[in-house]
Amino acid sequence: MPAWAELLEKQPVAVRMLQNSIEKSRIAHAYLFHGPRGTGKREASLLFAMRYFCKEETESSEPCKNCSACKRIYSGNHPDVHFIQPDGQSIKKEQIEFLQKEFTYTGLESNQKVYIIEEADKMTGNASNRLLKFLEEPNQQTVAILLTENSSAMINTILSRCQRIQFHSLNEQEQYNRLLQEGIPDSTAHIFTALQLDLGQAMEWKDDPWFAEARKIVLQLVDKVLDSKEEGYLFLHQVWLRQFEGRDQIELGLELLLIWYKDIISYHLDRKDRVILIDQLDRLETYMYRLSIQEAKASIYEILQTKRRLASNVHNTLAMEHLVLQLQR
Amino acid sequence: MKIIIERDQLMQSIQNVMKAISPKTTIPILSGIKIEATQEEVKLTGSDSDITIESIIPKEEEGIVYIHDVNPGKVVVQAKFLPDIIRKLPESEVEISSDDDLNLTIRSGKAEFKLNGQDPEEYPQLPVLQTENHFDLQIDLLKTLIRQTNFAVSTSETRPILTGVNFKLENNNLELVATDSHRLASRKIEMDKQEDSISFNNIVIPGKSLTELNKILDDGQETVQVSVSDNQILFKTKYVYFLSRLLDGNYPDTSRLIPDQSKTEVKVNAKELIQTIDRASLLAKDNRNNIVKLVTQENDVLEITSNSPEIGTAEELLQTKSITGEELKISFNAKYMIDALRAIDAEEIKIQFTGAMRPFIIQPVEEEQHILQLITPVRTY
Repeated sequence: MPAWAELLEKQPVAVRMLQNSIEKSRIAHAYLFHGPRGTGKREASLLFAMRYFCKEETESSEPCKNCSACKRIYSGNHPDVHFIQPDGQSIKKEQIEFLQKEFTYTGLESNQKVYIIEEADKMTGNASNRLLKFLEEPNQQTVAILLTENSSAMINTILSRCQRIQFHSLNEQEQYNRLLQEGIPDSTAHIFTALQLDLGQAMEWKDDPWFAEARKIVLQLVDKVLDSKEEGYLFLHQVWLRQFEGRDQIELGLELLLIWYKDIISYHLDRKDRVILIDQLDRLETYMYRLSIQEAKASIYEILQTKRRLASNVHNTLAMEHLVLQLQR
Repeated sequence: MKIIIERDQLMQSIQNVMKAISPKTTIPILSGIKIEATQEEVKLTGSDSDITIESIIPKEEEGIVYIHDVNPGKVVVQAKFLPDIIRKLPESEVEISSDDDLNLTIRSGKAEFKLNGQDPEEYPQLPVLQTENHFDLQIDLLKTLIRQTNFAVSTSETRPILTGVNFKLENNNLELVATDSHRLASRKIEMDKQEDSISFNNIVIPGKSLTELNKILDDGQETVQVSVSDNQILFKTKYVYFLSRLLDGNYPDTSRLIPDQSKTEVKVNAKELIQTIDRASLLAKDNRNNIVKLVTQENDVLEITSNSPEIGTAEELLQTKSITGEELKISFNAKYMIDALRAIDAEEIKIQFTGAMRPFIIQPVEEEQHILQLITPVRTY
């Protein structure tokens, strides 16, 4: 179970703000926790809900974690705490309708209610507007917590009705050191830090052959597209698309590709200390001569564009084909 | 925990609580049935968080022993497979036991099932409703009350509070009101004098819960004990407890909607009126509003017509008992009218109009005040 004390190290400002609002009983009706992945947003929302329902009467902001309310919130079984997660690509209207119904009823055990919407930026337009109605007319004892990695993708009318709490990305150096301590090799630790993995996920991927293979294939693709004699397009079909299948995997592939181009730019700017792929310095040096800084920038723009296309449901193969044709020299 | 119990009795209880369990629940623990055994009884609980049903199997009743052996304890077991398992067991006695690791064993004759249980501490804790704050009703009366009002609740979520029936208890008068803002159904009854009279005002029970309650209660002369708390209402019969969450918010004051004077009054046989309107609405049903028009004529005759330009027209004359007051032409939704007349369930009814643009009320000629149906007319040109 998480504790405020642990989170305080990672997120001093955000945690302090939340603790104060609890201790001084000035809880807002809606919060927006925004910040990059793995910064403890979910943990904070859980702690907040636990403290809100905790049966132990204390002045402090720490929940007891032992009473039935705390335990059930942690296991997802509390009847008055609702978690909404994207159903597939987005949070659907029906999910918000369920919430809407839930608001009009009294609570099952008490009249306090908390709802936590994860990846709130993935709400469809319809869903956002339905939710808005409840943010506008809050119920006395209802608290909404919206979590998002991308607050700019949310509609303004929602943003303006929430108390925004920023979760800062983890200090890269610290995260890197922590990964090293866990016995992750230097070069891998750099990549994991750049991908902003949390510790648990990093340990999982460390020995995953799929990830090692993915790294190799991304490297090969860069090789192919930067050499006019090679056919990146064929490589894409023969190798890449077989390795990266689901949407998450494709996104990871693009993230890795992005790192390569960022590194080329770092090289151009003579900022070798910023290079992430420290085991590939020779390669980066040769690429630097083949690819100008403007061209690298254009490529990065194309990759970001592809990510956006995938998010709006362009077919995987088509989006990747388009990208490779753009990158091919 | 360990119990040895009669299968038929257990099966009946399981079927009762299964009515509350929804297959698609967002709270994992609610996909289970809670079994709680004490020395006196075995209690099963099922819930979809909106409604909760508890069913009690007593140790013995009228000399028939239902529970042969008890070792107290509780466990939550997956509801999906339990009914089929119990139904198909070979013997009439069932042994259910659970160990400290929440493994459940069901044994009957030579058949044995092992199921994974869940922690009963995770199950929602139902509020213990105070038994002092209660009143008694006969079951068949309660069912009539529900039937006469519940049909009028709103089905649209735009005003959520209207999806429930408002219960009001004041000076030993219980009043139920339901409205979807186009029509209103209200029923009042006088309660027997009870020792300490309780009163409440803003209790709104979701229409869906009442529909379920209506299904689960058996017709009969027995009484059901109703207790109310801040967020739940409990209907308690001898062996079945039915809990429902309430709707949050203030129910609108409906007393002002009911006109206290009338310009035209029609007394008519209810059955004949239903049939006439039903026939007239045949052609109007395709139309979105299902509108029929009612015109008073001389010699206590009503003309009921409907007109849908693409299909045709229907027209019928109906002899009434009496028509007093001003002449009137009015249009309204035929379905609302039929629903209201069916709910009143009287031989002769009177309809009081206050002009073509004002709502009108329908009441039985006898026992006034007790049931009242109000319908707002439709503007036509």
